Amino acid sequence: MSTIQKVNLEPVSDVLPITRRDFPLADPTLSDPLNAVALVDGEWMTLDANYKLIRAAAIGTPGARATLRSFPLFAERGRYDVRAQADKKMPILFLGSYEFDTRVFDSSVALGSGAAITAVLQPLKVATITVVSAGRNFVGLVGHGGSADTDPIVGYVTRLPSANGGKLRFMSGWRS
Amino acid sequence: MSSVPARVLNELFTQKLGTAEGKEKMAEYGGSYVRDRLREVSYTRKILPPEQVTRADCQRSVNHDTLVKIVDIEPQSRAMAITFRGQPTARFIRGSRAEVAFFTISSEMFQKPEQELLAYEMPITKIIEENSVKDMQEIEDREFTIHIEAAVQALQVEANGGTATALNATTLAGGGVVEFSIRKGELARASLTNDATPRALQRPDLVNLFKLLDGNRLKSERLLMTESDWDDVLQWTVEDFGDRLQSETAVDGYKYNTLLGRAYIRTIKTDILRTGNIYVFTKPEFFGKFYVLNNTKFYIDKIANMITFQAWEDIAMSVINIASVRKLELYSGDANPTTNADGLLANFIPKSEDALGAINNRVDAGLKFPQVSQY
Repeated sequence: MSTIQKVNLEPVSDVLPITRRDFPLADPTLSDPLNAVALVDGEWMTLDANYKLIRAAAIGTPGARATLRSFPLFAERGRYDVRAQADKKMPILFLGSYEFDTRVFDSSVALGSGAAITAVLQPLKVATITVVSAGRNFVGLVGHGGSADTDPIVGYVTRLPSANGGKLRFMSGWRS
Repeated sequence: MSSVPARVLNELFTQKLGTAEGKEKMAEYGGSYVRDRLREVSYTRKILPPEQVTRADCQRSVNHDTLVKIVDIEPQSRAMAITFRGQPTARFIRGSRAEVAFFTISSEMFQKPEQELLAYEMPITKIIEENSVKDMQEIEDREFTIHIEAAVQALQVEANGGTATALNATTLAGGGVVEFSIRKGELARASLTNDATPRALQRPDLVNLFKLLDGNRLKSERLLMTESDWDDVLQWTVEDFGDRLQSETAVDGYKYNTLLGRAYIRTIKTDILRTGNIYVFTKPEFFGKFYVLNNTKFYIDKIANMITFQAWEDIAMSVINIASVRKLELYSGDANPTTNADGLLANFIPKSEDALGAINNRVDAGLKFPQVSQY
């Protein structure tokens, strides 16, 4: 089980080649750090029909899995540069390959045809998880079950949390 | 204007980029080309003049790496009449503070192979560089406009018992809404339908707008309106203007710096400040803050044959005293973003960033006259 802290998504690879694109939030109140389900860095987002950011899975439904291509949020909770803007834009890792450490994951659950996170290079998918120590839900990474699992893959484990100070290291990689 | 051909300027651009003297030299040159639209400097900066700040003026967060500047608000105080034996009531001194947060406004990241630059006879890179500054100021204006609209709507909600209440001709006729920070124009309130058509601006509309602000121990100082609403002023009659001014206006237009005693700012950016919306403000010291942490920076690079350039600035702006702005609506429909009672909101609020500055010319669609094709 992960522990949510102030910084939950940290690059391991060079960020310059990554297209870090700002999109407005469909629900601007999620940028408010006092919102009970405020967005934190490392949560997974997707785009709606209005080219705005929404969570990739339903935040109120633990176990809900993402069905669309999703992207990690690269802005900590309550950042001033987000709050200052009228449109409340937040950056996601939109295009390009990368390797990051994240705290927004649940290594123990097996959702749908998924599996617990147990192995390096195991594929990962996105779902709503409950982090007990934070007392709330997040949309983060969970284990993908491989060929039997039809949920989209968003990346692959490169270092297990047990060998990485409690953080899950993953590399990007998409497969629908 | 120099006689140096733009083609040469484009070549200079590729040769000289990265050197300060090269950029200075290019600034001396101009070109001959057809403009698509007028670009205007920021109206925000005329209403809320920016102040330069440094890192030392700002505060950090313990949660992330962004900055705010904390601004003190004037403390409350009052006086009282008392007897020889009495004593005044006490006030434990406390001043409020507000955070003004910084963010970045950036141009697009422009890219072009240097060989393709040679295909231009206009100094395309220089034009884009100059336009980028105004493009960024457009975004300043959009941010500012959204903030002032939020301010007047917040006060309007407060005045209506904490409930977002539609403000249109129907609710006005039924007496179901208080006009505290927003007022409908005289022609709009007399309308039988709730629509998005801006009515003509009349002199009583402005006077009533001033009264919204002047009645609260604040003083209206500056008006903000679109050029198209301003044009209605030119239609004011001899009863509004008087004989002498009417004669002058008929020949030269209205050429004074104040209207009814208030300075005014006109804008052509009707996709940001939509026609039919007129705001009035106090002096900046009663109103808010606009800080510039980093003035416009220009980055240019060339990797192999690909030239990349981008401009950005780091600013902060905030409407701190929301009671220092009031609004006049010249249309009869509801512009309250919460109620949106008539479904017309999109006509009244700034367009999205990527919809700003829609292209006027139709050359790429083959529409110019007479039509000539090269073979």
